[in-house]
Amino acid sequence: MDAFFQTYFDFTIIEDNFGYVLEGFWWTIRLSILGGILSLLWGLVLAVLRQLPGKAFAPVRWLTVAYIDGLRGIPLLLVIFLIYGGLGALASEGVIPEAIGIPRWFGLPSPFWYGTIAITLTYGAYMAEVYRAGIEAVPSGQTEAARSLGMSHGQSMRFIIVPQAVRKVIPPLLNDFIALMKDTSLVSVIGLVETVQAGRDVYSETFNASALTLGAVLFLLVTIPLARFVDWMINRQNLKVQRGVP
Amino acid sequence: MSEPIIQIGDLKKSFGELDVLTGIDLEIEKGEVVCVIGPSGSGKSTLLRCINLLEEPSGGTIRVAGTQVFGDGKPQNLDQLRREVGMVFQQFNLFPHLSATENVSLAQVKVLGRSRGEADRKSRELLGRVGLDEKADEFPDRLSGGQQQRVAIARALAMDPEVMLFDEVTSALDPELVQGVLDVMRELADSGMTMISVTHEMGFAREVSDRTIFMDGGVIVEQGPPAEVLDAPRHERTRKFLGLVLAS
Ligand SMILES: Nc1ncnc2c1ncn2[C@@H]1O[C@H](COP(=O)(O)OP(=O)(O)O)[C@@H](O)[C@H]1O
Ligand SMILES: [Mg+2]
Repeated sequence: MDAFFQTYFDFTIIEDNFGYVLEGFWWTIRLSILGGILSLLWGLVLAVLRQLPGKAFAPVRWLTVAYIDGLRGIPLLLVIFLIYGGLGALASEGVIPEAIGIPRWFGLPSPFWYGTIAITLTYGAYMAEVYRAGIEAVPSGQTEAARSLGMSHGQSMRFIIVPQAVRKVIPPLLNDFIALMKDTSLVSVIGLVETVQAGRDVYSETFNASALTLGAVLFLLVTIPLARFVDWMINRQNLKVQRGVP
Repeated sequence: MSEPIIQIGDLKKSFGELDVLTGIDLEIEKGEVVCVIGPSGSGKSTLLRCINLLEEPSGGTIRVAGTQVFGDGKPQNLDQLRREVGMVFQQFNLFPHLSATENVSLAQVKVLGRSRGEADRKSRELLGRVGLDEKADEFPDRLSGGQQQRVAIARALAMDPEVMLFDEVTSALDPELVQGVLDVMRELADSGMTMISVTHEMGFAREVSDRTIFMDGGVIVEQGPPAEVLDAPRHERTRKFLGLVLAS
């Protein structure tokens, strides 16, 4: 029992490496927030492209569906390597400018940006599906009312459908965000010392897992309140539905 | 006599194999109030929805206010049509994320290009006209069905339409709320609005309509002044329908 405690809860090790792990967690936070916001936006763009009406837009719809299915069908880890390897190679071949191929925007290192791009590409696809469910859950009478008032498809999406859809899907989007936050740890494979990598670094020096425990605790400090919040929102929505409120 | 505001020629509509409208000819004069009655599934809603092209007809022609809006198998001048024709639905279809005033103002601003202030003034005036001055800032979920339907009428009127279409607008209401909505419609009819109203309210049809149309099986079976169609129908199908309605 003591050995167990020593391995996971050695407070001396936690104290000595607190700053190092916290620094890693700061990367986790930045990756999550930036990747989360960009995924939310990219997902919405994809969902709207997927709903474009008429024959003329059929190729756009088809490409969007192919993109969404494709990105949801391959591991994020693979996407990270593809972006990292691909952009870097293209830049060194001179196909794309180095500022894009090896990004160091805002003074942040390129692994951070590769990770952000990969997360956005993948989670944008997941979130597009969530938005789609929300858009499809808005009764068709809403579109008809908007159209009968002379609004275009775009206006009806922008002012009527999307605002209602987004409200409906905030809980599942937050669930995706929780998953996204945990998946930021994958960016460690291209050299970003985020929470998990920081914990592993300490582990390989000390053969003690306490810094990893600390990492887990830091994650839980964010994810558990978020999960509770999602539950609270879902309950509130269910209550509204029971009261017959649209 | 001036040109009819709505001219429908040989209008057809099928959903796949199902022929719902099989050739409707109909002319409506400016200021005329027309009630459409008929059994469920006879194509009344489909007719209204074809008139403002929420459904695309399978054939025929539609002219509204002198402009062809459907012909040669395709819609034309859709924007103008939607401005000329207002529609009120059975299920109200208010925008739940907007207040009553915002519901009425939104399309004025986005479609007609009115300023926010101008639109809101007009919205409040119209909400007053349908008896809802005090509910202007409420959201739909705080309004009764009857109040919601009156907001929906104000919302359609805000676009200054030439014609108003009503599709069973009192059918989803609790009985005690029906009268308030009918009163608004009656007032609108008296003000000279051209109206086509699909309804089960025979009393309303009798008192308010200039012409009553009986539809069955995707065609107009008979039409004329309500006193004739409702009290002395010439066709057996009309008699049978009225017998069923009045018995219930
Ligand atoms: N979008 C649709 N797709 C397939 N069938 C439809 C559609 N809308 C209406 N119908 C069918 O058309 C017929 C007429 O419907 P409708 O015009 O709503 O009748 P009414 O309003 O007179 O009750 C019905 O049989 C209905 O099932
Ligand atoms: Mg109907």
